[in-house]
Amino acid sequence: MNEDIINLKNEAFAQINTVKSIDELEEIRIAYLGRNGKLTNLIKKIKDLPPEKRSQTGLLINETKKNIENLLNDKRQNLIKSLTEKREWFDLTLPGTKPEMGHKHPLKEVLEEVKDIFKYLGYQVAEGPEIESDYYNFEALNIPKDHPARDTQMTFYLENGKILRTQTSAMQVRVMEKTKPPFRVLVPGRNFRFEQVDASHGFEFWQVEGFAVDKNIRFTDLLGTISFVLKSLFGKETKLRFATTNFPFVEPGVDTYLQCTICHGKGCAFCKNTGWSEIMPAGMIHPDVLKKGKIDPKKWQGFAFAIGLSRIVNLRYGINDLRILTTPDLRILSQF
Amino acid sequence: MLVPISWLKDYIEIKLPLKDLMWRLTEIGLTSEKLEKINGEEVLDIEVTANRPDWMSILGVAYEIAAIQGDKVKEPQIKKLAKSKKTFEIKVKNNFQAIERWSAIIISGIEIKPSPEWLQKRILSVGLRPINNVVDITNFVMFEMGMPMHAFDYDEIKGHEMTFMLSQGGEEFTSVDELPYKLPKDAIIIKDKERIIDLAGIKGGLNSGIKANTKNILLHSTINNPVLIRRTSIALGLRSDASAIYERGPDKGGTIKAIKRATNLILETAGGEVASDLIDLKQKEFKPYPLDLNLKRLNEVLGVEIKKEKVIKILSSLNLNPKAKGEKITCIIPTKRSDLKIEEDLIEEVARIYGYNNFPLTLPEGKVKEEKIAYFKDDKIEKRLREIMIASGYSETMNYSLISEKIIKDSLSDPEKHIKIKNPVSLDYQYLRSSLIPSLILAAKLNTDKTVKLFEIDKVFPDEKYKVSAIGKGIEFREFKGAIDLILEKLGIENYETIFEVENQIFHPAKSGTIKVKESNIGYFGEINPQVRENFAVKEILWAFELDLEALKNSSKIRTFFPVSSYPPQIEDLTFVFPPKTKIGEVIESIRKTSDLIRNVELKDIYQDAFTFRITYQSNKKTLNDAEIASLREKIIEEIKKKYAGSVK
Repeated sequence: MNEDIINLKNEAFAQINTVKSIDELEEIRIAYLGRNGKLTNLIKKIKDLPPEKRSQTGLLINETKKNIENLLNDKRQNLIKSLTEKREWFDLTLPGTKPEMGHKHPLKEVLEEVKDIFKYLGYQVAEGPEIESDYYNFEALNIPKDHPARDTQMTFYLENGKILRTQTSAMQVRVMEKTKPPFRVLVPGRNFRFEQVDASHGFEFWQVEGFAVDKNIRFTDLLGTISFVLKSLFGKETKLRFATTNFPFVEPGVDTYLQCTICHGKGCAFCKNTGWSEIMPAGMIHPDVLKKGKIDPKKWQGFAFAIGLSRIVNLRYGINDLRILTTPDLRILSQF
Repeated sequence: MLVPISWLKDYIEIKLPLKDLMWRLTEIGLTSEKLEKINGEEVLDIEVTANRPDWMSILGVAYEIAAIQGDKVKEPQIKKLAKSKKTFEIKVKNNFQAIERWSAIIISGIEIKPSPEWLQKRILSVGLRPINNVVDITNFVMFEMGMPMHAFDYDEIKGHEMTFMLSQGGEEFTSVDELPYKLPKDAIIIKDKERIIDLAGIKGGLNSGIKANTKNILLHSTINNPVLIRRTSIALGLRSDASAIYERGPDKGGTIKAIKRATNLILETAGGEVASDLIDLKQKEFKPYPLDLNLKRLNEVLGVEIKKEKVIKILSSLNLNPKAKGEKITCIIPTKRSDLKIEEDLIEEVARIYGYNNFPLTLPEGKVKEEKIAYFKDDKIEKRLREIMIASGYSETMNYSLISEKIIKDSLSDPEKHIKIKNPVSLDYQYLRSSLIPSLILAAKLNTDKTVKLFEIDKVFPDEKYKVSAIGKGIEFREFKGAIDLILEKLGIENYETIFEVENQIFHPAKSGTIKVKESNIGYFGEINPQVRENFAVKEILWAFELDLEALKNSSKIRTFFPVSSYPPQIEDLTFVFPPKTKIGEVIESIRKTSDLIRNVELKDIYQDAFTFRITYQSNKKTLNDAEIASLREKIIEEIKKKYAGSVK
C-alpha cells in the first residue's frame, strides 16, 4: 500500500505541475482529495490493514495529503499571480452595448425634482381640475370680469359655461376652503391660454403653484423659499433678484429674475438680451383671497408663488423653442 | 408706456446711470427692460401693471424716480386762468353711470397751426405724429399727466348740446382718424343735437374734430366707467393710448388740473381766450383719504424691523403724507393713488422702496402639517409606472390635450362625446381628448425608426382621469404584452381577467381586450384597428394599451415576501397540444395553481399547436425527489386534460 501512496503522490504532483487554470486545479483537488478522491479512498482502506501497519501507513497518507494540499495552494497562488502579471492588452475604449431603456420626458424629470425639493420643505402635493369655473380661476383671486389683468390670460370657454383654467392659482381658494391652516401646498399642473403657438408661446403650458398659510409667515420667508428652491434647481452660484409687481391676488407682489443660465448675464437671444429671465412670480396672499377661502386674514397670513415649469426646463437644457417639449420625436426624447 | 429720457428730465434730475436706474425702476415695480431709440431720442419702454394708472404718465414715472433718489419733482407751472369775459353756451345731459366726472372749458378765437418745435419734438419722441397745436397739446398733457383729454370744434357741436349715453349697438361712427366703426352695445357715446360726436374714452369723432379752420374749441377731461371702456375697446379691437389709461382708471381728482394745464398751453401756442367757466360735473367729491398702517403689523408681515423714521421717510417720499401716533401711521392718500386701499398696499409701498433685494432670506418656521390637505395627490403610482415603462424601453412623450375633430373621427370615435372649445385657436385644437392613444399614433407615425416604443401618462376628458398609454411599432405581440405583464406584476395585481372585447373602436375588434379585476376595468389593449391606421396613414402594425391609474392603484397590493428556498429547484419542460382557441394565459395560471410546489411556469416555445412550458418545482422544506416530481407532473397533465382537453406531446 505504501507504494500505492507514493505512486499516487507522484502522479498528483505531475498533474498539478502541468496545470494551466484554476478550474483544472480544482478538478485535480477533487480527484485526489474529494469525497470520492483517490487519496480519500486509500484512507478508507486503512482500517483493512493489520493493526501494526495502520499507524505507519496512516502517517504516510497524512503527510502525502499535506504535501498535495501545499502544492495545490502554491500552484493556485502562482496561477493567480500569473493572471495579473502577464498584463495582456485589453482595450478599455471599446464601446459598451447599452441596455435598451426608454427615456423620461425632461419636463417630468424636472417636475419630479421640483416636487422633491418642496416635499423636503414640508409641502404636500395637490391636484385640481383643468376644467374650472370662472370663480376659482379669476373671481376668487380678485380678478372680476372686465379686469385688465384678464388681458394676459386670454381664456378658452367651454359650451357648458366652464373654462379651461389659465393658472394653477385656481387651486388656492379650493384648497383653503377645505383645509385647516397651517398648510404648505404644491400644485403642479397644466394650464390653457388662448395664444397662437410660436417659439415662446403655447396654448398649453405647465406651472407649479405653491402656497403656504401659517400664523407668522413672513415676506422674508417667501424670498427665502424662492431662493432655496431656485438654488436647489440651478446650483448655489445662481444669481437672483426680486422686483415689485402686481397680481390682484397678492400684496405685496414679487417677481423673481434669474440670471440667464445660458449667457450668465451677458445677454443673449434666450433672455432677450436682458441677461435675466423672469421665472417665479409670487407674493403675500391678498387678504381678500384668504377671506374667500374662509380663512381669517387677521389670524393667518400666507405667501404664494408660481413656477413656469417649461421655462425651467428650457433654461436648464438650453432649449430655445417651447414646441420642442411637445414634439414626440425620439431624436429629441432620447437626449434626456 | 414710452418714456423719453429728455422729457423725463424736465421734471427730475436723473442721478443714477441709466442702466442702474432701469433696474431700480424694475425693482420698485416699473418693469424697464427696453431702452429704444425713437426719432433720435432715447426712450424707455416701461411695462405698467394694471393697478397703476399714474404710471401711464411721464410725471408719474418722475415721482417714482424722485422717491428712489430722495428728491423732489419739478412740477409744471400752471398759471391761474383768467376769468372769462364771454360765455359760450354748452348744455349737457349727463349720465354718471357712464361718465363719473366731466370737466370742460371753452376757448374761443384760437388759431390752428403746426405746433412749435419743442412740442413737435415731444410728440415725435413718444412715437406719435404731430397734427396741430391743439391736438398735440391734448396728447402732450395726456402723456405728461396721465389724464386723457379731447378737444372738440365747438362750432361743430350741433345745438351746443352734449348728451352722454350708452349705445344701443349698431350705430355708425367715424373716428377722427377717418376710420368707420359699427358700435357694440353699451359703448359710452356723446351725442350733439344730431349725431354721435365722440366715442368717449377711446376716440373722438371726425365730425367734431379740430380742423384747419377751427376757431373755438371745447376741451374736456372725463372720468369714464373703466369696465364699459374695456368692453367696447375689446369689441372693436381698438386700443388707444387713452383707453389703456381708462381701463386702469385715471386720477379722479386730476381732471381740473389737466384742463388748466392744457388751457395754459393752448393759450400760449394757439392764442385765443377762455370763453366759459371751468365746468365740473360730478356726483361726489374726489378727495384724498386717510389709510392707516400699523408699524408692528408691517414688521410682522415683512419679517424685518424697519425703524419708524425710515418708514415715515419712505411714505413721505411717495407723497403719502404720513403722520405717526405711536405704532399707528396714518397716510393721506392722494386721489391719483387710488390703488392704495388696504394696509397691505401700504406695506408693499414701504417694502418696494426699502428694496426687495435688501431683505434677509428666511424659511418659514411653523410646523409641517401631518394630516392630508384637500385635493392631496398621491403620485406614487405614476412614478412607479414611469419607471416600469422606461425600464421596458418605452420613451415618455407629452402631447397636447387639445385635438382636432379629424383626429377624433380618424380614431373612429364620436366628436359629440368630446368636450368642445367655444373659441379654439385653430380647428386643429378644438376638442379635449378622451384617450391618449390617438396622439401616440401620430407620435409613432412621426418617428421613422423601425422600432418605436412610446408612452404617455396624462389626464383624459371629460372625467380628468389619469391614464397610462403606450404604443409599439415594429414589435411582436408578446414583446408588447410584456410591458403590461410587468406593470401588473410589479403593482401586485393578481386575479385579473382578460375579456375578449373592447368598447373603443380604435382597436382591432378581434385582436383587443379588456383587463378586469372583479368588476373594475383596468384598461384596454390590443392591435390598432387597420381602418384607423389607414385613416392616419400608418403602414406598420401598431400595438397599444391604455390603463386607468386609479383602477390600477385600487387593485394594487403590496406583495408578501416569499422566502427563498435553500433547496435546489427541479426544472423541466412539458409540451402540450391544445385544441384551437385555447387561452394559454389561463392554462399557465392553472398549471401554477396545481400545487404550492410549482414555483414558476413560463411559456418557452410555440410550435404550431404545441406549447412548451418550462416548469420549476421547488419546496422550502426539502429537495424534491423523482417520485414527488412525477406525481406533480401527473397532476398537471390530468388538470390540463380535464380543463383544456390538452394532451402531452
